[in-house]
Amino acid sequence: MAAQLLNGLTEGMMLFLIASGLTLIFGITRIVNFAHGSLYMLGAFLAYHLMPMLGGSTVASFASAVLLSAILVGLLGLVFEVLILRRIYGADDLLQLIITLALVLILRDVVKAIWGANDISVPMPASLSGALQIGGTFLPLFQIVAFAVGLVVITLMVSIMRFTRAGVLLRAATDDRGMVALLGINQAWIFSSVFAVGCFLAGLAGALAAPFGNVNYLLDTNIIVMAFVVVVIGGLGSLSGALIAALSVGMVKGLGVIYFPRLSTVLIFLIMAAVLVIRSLGRGAISK
Amino acid sequence: MSFEHVQSRWLFAAVSLGLAVAMLMLGPGIALLATEVAIMALFASSLGFLINYGGMVSFGHAAYFGLGAYGFALAAAKLGLPLWLAVVLGPLTAALGAVLFGALCVRLTHIYFAMLTLACSEIVFTVLFQAYDYTGGDNGLTNFMAPRFGLSPQIYAALTVAIVALCIAFLARIVRSPLGLAIQAVGEEPHRAAALGFSPRLVQLVACVIAGTLAGIAGTMYSVFQGNAFPDYAGVGITIDALVMVVIGGVKGFYGGVFGAIIYVLLKTFVSRAFTHWELVIGLILIAVVLIFPTGIAGLLQKLGLSRTARPSGEQHP
Repeated sequence: MAAQLLNGLTEGMMLFLIASGLTLIFGITRIVNFAHGSLYMLGAFLAYHLMPMLGGSTVASFASAVLLSAILVGLLGLVFEVLILRRIYGADDLLQLIITLALVLILRDVVKAIWGANDISVPMPASLSGALQIGGTFLPLFQIVAFAVGLVVITLMVSIMRFTRAGVLLRAATDDRGMVALLGINQAWIFSSVFAVGCFLAGLAGALAAPFGNVNYLLDTNIIVMAFVVVVIGGLGSLSGALIAALSVGMVKGLGVIYFPRLSTVLIFLIMAAVLVIRSLGRGAISK
Repeated sequence: MSFEHVQSRWLFAAVSLGLAVAMLMLGPGIALLATEVAIMALFASSLGFLINYGGMVSFGHAAYFGLGAYGFALAAAKLGLPLWLAVVLGPLTAALGAVLFGALCVRLTHIYFAMLTLACSEIVFTVLFQAYDYTGGDNGLTNFMAPRFGLSPQIYAALTVAIVALCIAFLARIVRSPLGLAIQAVGEEPHRAAALGFSPRLVQLVACVIAGTLAGIAGTMYSVFQGNAFPDYAGVGITIDALVMVVIGGVKGFYGGVFGAIIYVLLKTFVSRAFTHWELVIGLILIAVVLIFPTGIAGLLQKLGLSRTARPSGEQHP
């Protein structure tokens, strides 16, 4: 039970890491980044690739591989934003969606070309592969560490959003982009950096979560769908909403495996549908 | 009804008939490919109808494709119904699904609409995947019939082309009807349409059901074509395929879905044969399409004056 609980919490935390980037990007740029799952997948593959180069399965090499993968994915996001995405802000919803879909297809093919179509597995750092005994139950150490890393990222994010000038600008831009532009803030710079940070978070989540399961090129759509669910339940653009939603979804998945194995996934989508429909009841007859 | 309109109707009938007859003369491999193109053309056209005319970008159109396939396959494999009845039940299942999901989804707009359609299609996918006692789960339903009812590839291709042509003619008829104009009006300006006395949600629901049913027909035909059904038929992958087709084909033209399906399926088949990176090629084409000619192939043809059948916009209505 405690183990399943931790399972759910860890999965929820990983979901939050990816969903936070998605919701951050949407909040500022109004772009729904369909490629976010692909960036997560890329992060996982990069970690797999970098770990042996950085000295095998020690904690230090894993940590540096995770960080480096996240940075590389963030840089890729930056390049994509500056070269392509920047040209279509304000264009039709569909075109923005399609541009990110194009990135999904390209990344999937690139990953297949470099690492092949088979499952790969990223080893846990050897010293973290044990279990921690608390009371009578053994809890996998690596999950606890991954969860803790998530907490650190949340703390960092909250402090940046609350206490720095960049955070103030971001919150302002989420509320009213036009007004921020009127204040003489360079919007292009905000958009690029937010997109890069969002991609960094996706890469971080992918690399960090890679040892939990098999990594393959099909990860992209599986993950993006769950990330959408989290972002929608939490409210598009809301970080705290995404955190609550991610942990809840993780718990439903983690506990659902014991109590209603066949229904857990359907239940998550039903919750998402219910949240959307209930929210729509509060609005007028047609809201644009 | 202008002369031009009648003329294009005869032209459409002649081209369709010609294509169907041509199918009978192809080699079996090409006939199979043509069948897939035709089925996907119908599927993409139904999604294109929803996007271009109804202004509704759906992320879950595969739900109806999957329901069409499983409605047919379950009826044939598990209920043991005669095949002709199963073939009718497929699209009917999709239509019922479209009524149910549509009624929920039209309450929302824009990205929220897209997200709810995605949730609906994922529910369908997960149910098909998890209810393995009935659906066979991941293994799908197989070996319950001879693919294509045992027809030769050429005859089935001709049959498919004929059915798809009928469905697309029906869709063209809808687009030009008062209902079609109402769907466009609601798609472009829901508030003004409401002020004119339309019920936006009802009109959108009707559009969803039309598109869902046509997607269901495509799903049933695909299931018959392959002689099987898999949960992936309702998966995000199929929706993405269709979205890509609609965009490559063109988001402003009626035949965008058809053009897109032809290009997409041919690229997928021939590029992947020549070198393995066909998804890379499609991705680059998509970026080029969006950045250079955002109206797609249909829009390009229209710009060059080669096609008169592109979407009638406000000013140049037939």
